[in-house]
Amino acid sequence: MSWGITFVKGWFYLIMSLMLDLGHLALISGLIYMMVRRASFHLPKLNYLRSYRGEKELRPVASNWRIEDWIFMSVLLVIEFTGFLQEACGLIVDQPAWAIWSPIGLAIANTLTAAGMSVDTAASIRGMNWWMHGVLALAFTAAIPWYKAKHIISAVGSLLFRDKKPLALLPSEPKDAEKAGISSIEDFTWKDMLHLDACTKCGRCHEACPARTAGYPLSPRDFILDLRVYNDEAQGCTIPGIDLVGGVIAPETLWACRTCGACQEICPVGIEHPALIVRMRRHLVEQGKMDPLLRNTITTIGDTGNSFGENSRKRSQWTKALEFRVKDIREEPADTLWFVGDYASFDPRNQKVSQTVARLLKAAREDFALLHEGEKTAGNDVRRVGEEGLYEELAEHNVEQMMGAKPFKQIITTDPHSYNTIKNEYPAFGEIAPISHYSSVLADLLSSGRLKVKKPLNKRVTFHDPCHLGRMNGGYDAPRKVLELIGCEMVEMPRNRDNSFCCGAGGGRIWIPDTPGTEKPSENRVHEAARLGGIDVFVTCCPKDLVMFEDARKTGGHEKDFVVQDLAELVAEAIELKSLRLEDLPPLADRIVKAVANQISEAVASRLDTVLAARLASMPAVSAIAAAAPQAVIAAAPAAAAAAAAAAPAASTPSTASPAPALEVAPPASAPASESASAQPVASGDLPTLNPVSWSALKPVQPANFAGYTAPPKDGPRILVTVKHVAKLGDEYGFTPDGRDVRREFMEFSLNEWDDAALEEALRCVERIGKGEVVAVTVGDPEADTSLLKALAKGAHRAVRIWDPSLANADPITIARAIAGIARAEDPDLIMSGVQSGDQAHGATGTALARILGLPHAAVVVGLDWDGSSKLALARELEGGLRHTFELKSPAVVCIQTGINTPRFATMKMVKQAKQKPLVAVDAAGVIDGSSGYVVRRMYTPEQTKAEMLKGTPPEIAKFIADLVRDKKGG
Amino acid sequence: MSGILIIAEHINGAVRDITKESIGAAVSLKGSYGGPVTVAILSSDPDALAASVNLEGVDEIVTVKMAGDHFDPHIYEEATIKIGEQMKPGLIVFGHTVNGMACAAAVAARLGAGFASDVLALKAEGGEIVATRGAYGNKVNLEVVFPKREIVVLALRGATYPMPTNPGSASVRALDLDVAAAAGSMQHTGYIEAPPSNIDISKAEYILSVGRGIQEKENIPRFEQLADKMGFTFGCSRPIVDAGWLPKAHQVGQSGKVASTCKVYIALGISGAVQHLYGMKHIDTIIAVNTDPEAPIFNVATYGVNVDLFELTKELESQFS
Repeated sequence: MSWGITFVKGWFYLIMSLMLDLGHLALISGLIYMMVRRASFHLPKLNYLRSYRGEKELRPVASNWRIEDWIFMSVLLVIEFTGFLQEACGLIVDQPAWAIWSPIGLAIANTLTAAGMSVDTAASIRGMNWWMHGVLALAFTAAIPWYKAKHIISAVGSLLFRDKKPLALLPSEPKDAEKAGISSIEDFTWKDMLHLDACTKCGRCHEACPARTAGYPLSPRDFILDLRVYNDEAQGCTIPGIDLVGGVIAPETLWACRTCGACQEICPVGIEHPALIVRMRRHLVEQGKMDPLLRNTITTIGDTGNSFGENSRKRSQWTKALEFRVKDIREEPADTLWFVGDYASFDPRNQKVSQTVARLLKAAREDFALLHEGEKTAGNDVRRVGEEGLYEELAEHNVEQMMGAKPFKQIITTDPHSYNTIKNEYPAFGEIAPISHYSSVLADLLSSGRLKVKKPLNKRVTFHDPCHLGRMNGGYDAPRKVLELIGCEMVEMPRNRDNSFCCGAGGGRIWIPDTPGTEKPSENRVHEAARLGGIDVFVTCCPKDLVMFEDARKTGGHEKDFVVQDLAELVAEAIELKSLRLEDLPPLADRIVKAVANQISEAVASRLDTVLAARLASMPAVSAIAAAAPQAVIAAAPAAAAAAAAAAPAASTPSTASPAPALEVAPPASAPASESASAQPVASGDLPTLNPVSWSALKPVQPANFAGYTAPPKDGPRILVTVKHVAKLGDEYGFTPDGRDVRREFMEFSLNEWDDAALEEALRCVERIGKGEVVAVTVGDPEADTSLLKALAKGAHRAVRIWDPSLANADPITIARAIAGIARAEDPDLIMSGVQSGDQAHGATGTALARILGLPHAAVVVGLDWDGSSKLALARELEGGLRHTFELKSPAVVCIQTGINTPRFATMKMVKQAKQKPLVAVDAAGVIDGSSGYVVRRMYTPEQTKAEMLKGTPPEIAKFIADLVRDKKGG
Repeated sequence: MSGILIIAEHINGAVRDITKESIGAAVSLKGSYGGPVTVAILSSDPDALAASVNLEGVDEIVTVKMAGDHFDPHIYEEATIKIGEQMKPGLIVFGHTVNGMACAAAVAARLGAGFASDVLALKAEGGEIVATRGAYGNKVNLEVVFPKREIVVLALRGATYPMPTNPGSASVRALDLDVAAAAGSMQHTGYIEAPPSNIDISKAEYILSVGRGIQEKENIPRFEQLADKMGFTFGCSRPIVDAGWLPKAHQVGQSGKVASTCKVYIALGISGAVQHLYGMKHIDTIIAVNTDPEAPIFNVATYGVNVDLFELTKELESQFS
């Protein structure tokens, strides 16, 4: 061919011929192997039957896949065979000199010739087979976009466009998005759909998934295939009547994921399953559709900043057991900021590890500091649960704390979850110092000699790679190096490094209870370790791992096989770390001095309190406080002490002349005392003079008169809901100097559970009626806005907050009086109130409110039916479960009992958006006096008779109980 | 203008324990506060109930004949005010019960009286009432006083004050009251019985109860089977019923049933809210299992266990298999 360029000639042709022959041979061998493997290996990952979901029979679509798979392989095999036949026939007919360069073809040609095939026969086969091979091959190619073979193309695209850190750095939500996450097929990007199309059904993710392995209803393969089948039908548009989340993908499937990343790590075509799952979870969270315990935990994190629901003051309490003081980065600079994380701060077992790490750092003379109560949970798991708004708030808070702190050079953490999010996700919120996991810090300290191994451990250990350290951030080597440096014999589990098997706690699963009867992923893992044989220690370097595997070791029956220990504990043993070292003595002395100074100042403070209390005795209501005030130990302020001594008896001695002596005494002795006191919390003349209430002088309580308050005009029925920002105490608390309340810093606040139910009921009424508004009213200081915002986020239209500091300790009738003032202005058609508050538990505010307003009322309501008319059908619950049904005329006050409904959930995003809604603060100063009802004379911790706590192992305790029960029943 | 007025509570033709406990509280206060102690019974047949409140220390029983027996807080409030106007008591006592909650605070607001609810101890100092109540999940107690109030209304916590056992010699006086002003606020429509059940907490001798600590609904059968194997009646706390995991009949506590005849009570994962303790704290042998060492249930339990609930359950299952 003189007019063209020919490549396929000469040596090039010969070598190509040889390569093609060998290549096709390889393909045929591969295809045959695939067929045999499919037909007789019975690999679970190639089985489309969803036995993990209790499926007994293959679904039609999956049967079709099976047929499709076999057609694909068979057709390809036939194309291959006809190709070789064509080549062989050609060689028989043409007899070229270079036939040896097509060795397979030649071998077949020779075999056929030996079997008696003539040149003519070969030529006619050649003619017919050419058509057959050609049509098959072309048809196969042309059909690629229409069936499973399309992964040949889509896989290339999928791999090309994959994210670098698809799970370590999750995609955020668009700022102006109306709804969260993925709720319909339109929410998928073209890249998402490309990933769906790329799946080859190889089943590796199915096999690697810890949720599927443990019997949970999630197979990453089936998750992707279900989405693909749906999308093939929907073509990117929503099919009416089919919900993506709930209809195509079940919520329990989404909640089964531990976001360990095993599926995407092993996927040969770059599919990013976990990020899709998290984005679909965001939709579920927005709908409030989640496990009740998870919901509680998320609410708790929103309220307290940690998943343990502890007061933030307790976050660094674990440092109290140390021999040295741990710096506060907010007050003094340090080289290293240690971000501790929730489990390492609050979980008792992990607190010991944190103490060990602190001592190791101290021994290595590392200059480190904490954020102390400035730290909140990092939010890695909150984000993976799908509560994006709360995550953003937590990240903003922590970044703000770090940026506002004194200078530091680097961040360390023991928690791989915090490590991941701070390293990969926090940079979106501000400048973040370099962060290291403590495993690499320990590796450095050991190899640089700052920590010296004195006793090589000679232990046979195995190591579990945390998902967030290993797979997501490549931290495989540092922990192994540490183990080597301290003289451990490291035995790898079969699933290690990037194929590590998740403990099951990730993605918020640590907050969701496991389904009974399933083997926990952590149990599966400890069995794997036990099978290694002769292991001394199962080593972890993640606080959640320690909890999970310690638990699994017990429940999995491996208590005798090995112990579970943190990496730092082994290092401490190897360097023979003592809890108290000589070089730590100066700081210890420092600490002792500080402690003594604290004691002195506390003593002085309590002395002062006594004096102040005596001063307070000049007020009518609180005369007994002086007697109840703590006794001072050290006479640090003689003048004040003497004055207190003079004042206290005078204040607590009742006079017999007056009918209400204890309350009316204004002892003159307290006047000079007050002059010597340095501060006066309450001016003595502030309380209004009250005229006694008696049968001859009844004073029905009237609504407070907020003259300046006007309500907007009504548009449909208006429901007023009273809500309260309630306080909860931890196991540690202290009283205010006047002994009449708990100090505020020991309280954690949240929206009152009963009011939440009342709000839900009100919202349902308005939704049912189709118009109207819900107005939330509270009495509280500006912090109570948090609960009002929550009410607004859930759907209340407006909110009103009434406040004057005197209302802090007010009785329920005074509170009701304040609310009545607003209610009168609002003129609601219905008022709903929780039966009681979680902190004071009066169970009276709603009833008092009704009386003050002169409205009919009902308490402990568990059933309500109202269409906006004047008739209100109610059921209240009596003791024993009997229900009393009746009707009231609206407007009325209804006190709602919990259990009547399940209140909706408000995400942090909704709470932020709720800031746009009207929230009016009403100043009650001069309008209402909080101390005009009852007066709290003193608050104290009651003495309790405690149960005899049974010590011992669970089997021993069970035996004790069983014996006791048998004894009681037999006797 | 003195003395103590107790508003009796009754259901199905019987005076409730809370009224007898209130009498106990009032009688013990009489010495320091001053009598008389008067019990008012509002009923369609008050005379039939008078005998059961005629307990030692009661000075007078006032009977008020009502049109019906369905509790209406508006009518109770009106009647209490009317009786008060005649008797002029310094202290009016209700129970902190479902009915008391609907009425006591309204009476106090209408009078402008001092008020406290869920009162767990009371005394008089120099003629003034000092009431003790709990706060913050009953972690602390507080004493409250009522300055300038010569009338105080209190709602007393149940199962807290001893009931007098000896009969008294109170005079009985019938009062004819006009409560028409309050009639018509509420239209009684009926009662819905709790769904029938073969569980009777009030008659059970051995009860195994579960609370929030069991984590999820799927765990219910496991504990029910354990109770069954041990020969215990299966009970629970309020949140379990609220969540719809068990029918109401299983609930121990104020809004459930009181375990009156129980000898051994095992509480698994129950923290011990006041309303639950109401139903079981009197029991002689209580074994409480909770992971929170500070749980209030340990304040009433005989034996406390502070281990993982499920680990212990596993061991109990093998003990009773």
